[in-house]
Amino acid sequence: MSRAGRYALGALGFALAVLALAPAGSAAAAGQDAKHTVWDGNRTTPAHLIPLRDENDAPIIPTETNPLPYSARFTCGPCHDYKTIQGGWHFGAMTATKSGRPGEPWIRFDPKTGTVLPLSYRKWPGSYDPKAVGLTAWDFTLLFGRHLPGGGPAEPSDEEVLAHPEARWNVSGKAEVNCLACHNRSGRQDPSEWAKQVLRENLRWAATAAGGVGEVGGIASRLKETWDVYDGPNLDDHEWAVAPSVKYRTVDFDSKHRTFFDLNYQPSDDRCLACHSVSPKDEARWSADADVHSTAGLKCADCHRNDLGHAIVRGYEGEAAETGNRTAGSFTCRGCHLGENEAGEKSVVPGRLGAPLPKHTGLPLVHFKRLACTVCHSGPKPKEGFTRVRTSRANRLGIYGIATWATDLPAVIEPVYAKGAGNKIAPNRLVWPAFWAKMSGKEVVPLKPEDVEAAAGDILTPEERIAQTLVALSQVMAEDEIPVLVSGKFVFAPNVDGGIDASERPGAKADTPALWGIRKGEDVLALVPEFDPAAADKDPAVETRFQEFLQALTTVAGAPGQPVIAVKKTLYRLVDGSLDMSEAPAELAEASGPGWLAEGKFLTLASDFDLRTVTAKAGTEQTLTEEQVALVLGTLARSAENADFVYISGGRMFRLGKDGKLASKSDAAAEPVTWPLAHNVRPVQQSLGWNGCTDCHSGGSDFFFTKLRGTGPLLTANVEKRSAASFMGLGGLFQRFFGLSFITRPLFKVVLAVCAFVIGSLVFLAGLLLLGRLAGFIEKRSEP
Amino acid sequence: MMFTIIVLLSVIGVFASLAFHRFWTTREETGATILYAELLKKYAAWLALRTIQAARKTSPKNWWGAGKALPLWRLPILEKWLYIGLYGSFAYLAASGFFFAIFIPRGLYGFPLVGHVMAGGLFAACLALIVVFKGRYFISVPKPVNLSLALFDPGKMGITADRVKLAAFWLFVLAGFLLALTALLPMLPILRTAGQKFMFEFHRYSALVSALAATVYVDLEAFGARRS
Repeated sequence: MSRAGRYALGALGFALAVLALAPAGSAAAAGQDAKHTVWDGNRTTPAHLIPLRDENDAPIIPTETNPLPYSARFTCGPCHDYKTIQGGWHFGAMTATKSGRPGEPWIRFDPKTGTVLPLSYRKWPGSYDPKAVGLTAWDFTLLFGRHLPGGGPAEPSDEEVLAHPEARWNVSGKAEVNCLACHNRSGRQDPSEWAKQVLRENLRWAATAAGGVGEVGGIASRLKETWDVYDGPNLDDHEWAVAPSVKYRTVDFDSKHRTFFDLNYQPSDDRCLACHSVSPKDEARWSADADVHSTAGLKCADCHRNDLGHAIVRGYEGEAAETGNRTAGSFTCRGCHLGENEAGEKSVVPGRLGAPLPKHTGLPLVHFKRLACTVCHSGPKPKEGFTRVRTSRANRLGIYGIATWATDLPAVIEPVYAKGAGNKIAPNRLVWPAFWAKMSGKEVVPLKPEDVEAAAGDILTPEERIAQTLVALSQVMAEDEIPVLVSGKFVFAPNVDGGIDASERPGAKADTPALWGIRKGEDVLALVPEFDPAAADKDPAVETRFQEFLQALTTVAGAPGQPVIAVKKTLYRLVDGSLDMSEAPAELAEASGPGWLAEGKFLTLASDFDLRTVTAKAGTEQTLTEEQVALVLGTLARSAENADFVYISGGRMFRLGKDGKLASKSDAAAEPVTWPLAHNVRPVQQSLGWNGCTDCHSGGSDFFFTKLRGTGPLLTANVEKRSAASFMGLGGLFQRFFGLSFITRPLFKVVLAVCAFVIGSLVFLAGLLLLGRLAGFIEKRSEP
Repeated sequence: MMFTIIVLLSVIGVFASLAFHRFWTTREETGATILYAELLKKYAAWLALRTIQAARKTSPKNWWGAGKALPLWRLPILEKWLYIGLYGSFAYLAASGFFFAIFIPRGLYGFPLVGHVMAGGLFAACLALIVVFKGRYFISVPKPVNLSLALFDPGKMGITADRVKLAAFWLFVLAGFLLALTALLPMLPILRTAGQKFMFEFHRYSALVSALAATVYVDLEAFGARRS
């Protein structure tokens, strides 16, 4: 074939290919358009009057029997590509290839075992991969699903589900990406309801309930693992193991079974703050200020924006280069306010959202090189001992109901100024990790709290035992009576959660012996009053009460023996349900008060170990004593030969020495975990430096010299102590010297100004002289 | 980087010029040719030879001897300490400033910076006193100029070593004034970031001018006096 012929055939083939592909291309474009990937230019949010679809992509008829909960994948998915959204910042941690700047880790907090373990699927320093510490997606979802917006670990892959048959995904379903969690404008959106449903393992129902779309009843966690959503209601049990079900708000549906979603394109701040609130621990709500940007009328999503991929702009310097999203550079502090990228080049669009240009009058340039904007402008101002804050996710804030969800622990501290990316100092939040671990060579492998608890046996439960006793006694108390245990300076009383609360007794001595008593108003009376059992005129009511107490104490689970009351060599006990009074055997002659009779021995109602432990911890935030830690470490060591176990708390690593005593040392695994903070941004008048250089540069400024003590669940004096400057990688001595130099600065400036004036004047005069002579003016004037 | 390049070029330029001045004014062979290439060759040979000679002569003992022989030590007490203050502070300022600017990416920081600030104050005070008490000895009396083409003839400009020395002194004083000013202004609540940046750069270049002027002055003072 000639060359011309080959060309002609080639051209024909190409034309045919184009013709053949053209319809496919159009179809693809149409498909893209249906997903609304390209903005049509209109700035309004369309009314979302849409039909609901369930997880089988079947339409939901709200009035039919046992409808399934709605599925975001199939209800929102037809217009908004679900798979694209799944890769977003809030949902894609498990599969993300880039971790980005460290953020707040999930913190597994278990007070009983003294665990404060930072976890993250992202590779952030100090955080452990949940998989590495034995947490499956199921475990993670139940622990942290309360503040997850669905997706991610709450919507695991089929491989993950099959790999962990012990998980109950089949019963609970998966918690799909919950679009309403962020985009619902309706006041019905209820994060507390979401948390409640997650805890009930009603994962597939959680979005429906939390969004106010329908009312969800039943508790999946009580159902057998063989239950399936298609099984419908549990016919065997209508009270306890009730299968989850939805009752849709039919009033919101039209005749075509479409319901109205009141949605925001940009989520409102309330939606973000449900999971991202941070507040000083002891501040009253009315006095807490909002971020200056919020006060100015901006919404979180104005800066933290995203496209359909939901790769939220986090707003840190370097993000644009890291993610390839160049727009992100406009939404850093520097980008918006100065129009600069991280290298200081004027390459981004400045002044977006009306950001004012800061003057920074008189501020030396080194501050811009060495400090992030947030150092002077964000977080609480530095103060002695730092500021303790609570965050939504760490301290379980924002979940309302009868039970109290919020906790003061773990202790989150801010602002800790630490050197971060680009060697710049930035304010950080900080938490000291605490956990039990097994040493694998030099590697520290955290143990699961459940495993520690199982190994520790009774060592970790003295509070529970005392609470059980007090709760048992409270069954036979009058309305105005509360059973209490008085020990040391504290009075312990049962609380509604089945635990004990300690209150300090003013003026009491620390060595006050333990006394079981009854609190009536302000008074505490002895449970076993002073009386003579042998007296003829004894009050019969006392023995009646003894019988009640003994009957109540028989209900204490795991009691070490039979309940008895010893009074002056007389032993009261129950025999066949009746009060029996007998002379105490000689070996029990010294026994006194309520107790347990076990194998012929009298045991006090609470053991010395229990009393010592609860009394030591009373009035503190700590949940473990050194004695407990030593005992648990001993138990763990006995459970596995040649294994080395440690406990980490307060910045120290504790292990049992060869002498059986607890010893501590510093270790990398005990180092605090930090993550940069950006909000709240303070008004300019509250920024550091507003009052001058001495806001930071003085001989004893809190910025450089406040001290941080390691905190943790262990009650100990062996905690790590750090100065603020040490986190910055700066020498404290130099900063103190440099700070002191600011005392003489005003004088120095005056001297320099005088010198400059004198030198400048004489140079000026010399110049004038030279000019005058060159021009011949001076010679002429000096002529007669 | 730009500053480093300018510093290097300036230093090379000034040293080469001063050396050439010495070569031109002290060596007889300069009159043997009018060919620039030949002259340059002779200059290079002389410079190499002098460098080797100087290197051979250099030893701590010789430096110590040269230092002890300085007329500074024979000055009246106040004057002596004034000059010690000026020379000492200037030497530290130049050494710390240029070393950190050229070799340390972070720039001047820490205790060297504190020392730099303190030395800066001392330098400004000493310089002010010297200008007040000694400035009068550096005022020359040029003739009034006449408007003619001779103004553009280098041969008739009257550029002499003494005049260059005087100019170097006043340039040093002017640079000292600018150094004090550019150190003072950023410390006052006057300048914004752009102003601060400008002052920072201006301070560096003033320091360069100051160092070069001092070099020229010292060279002409030391070697000019020996020749005369």
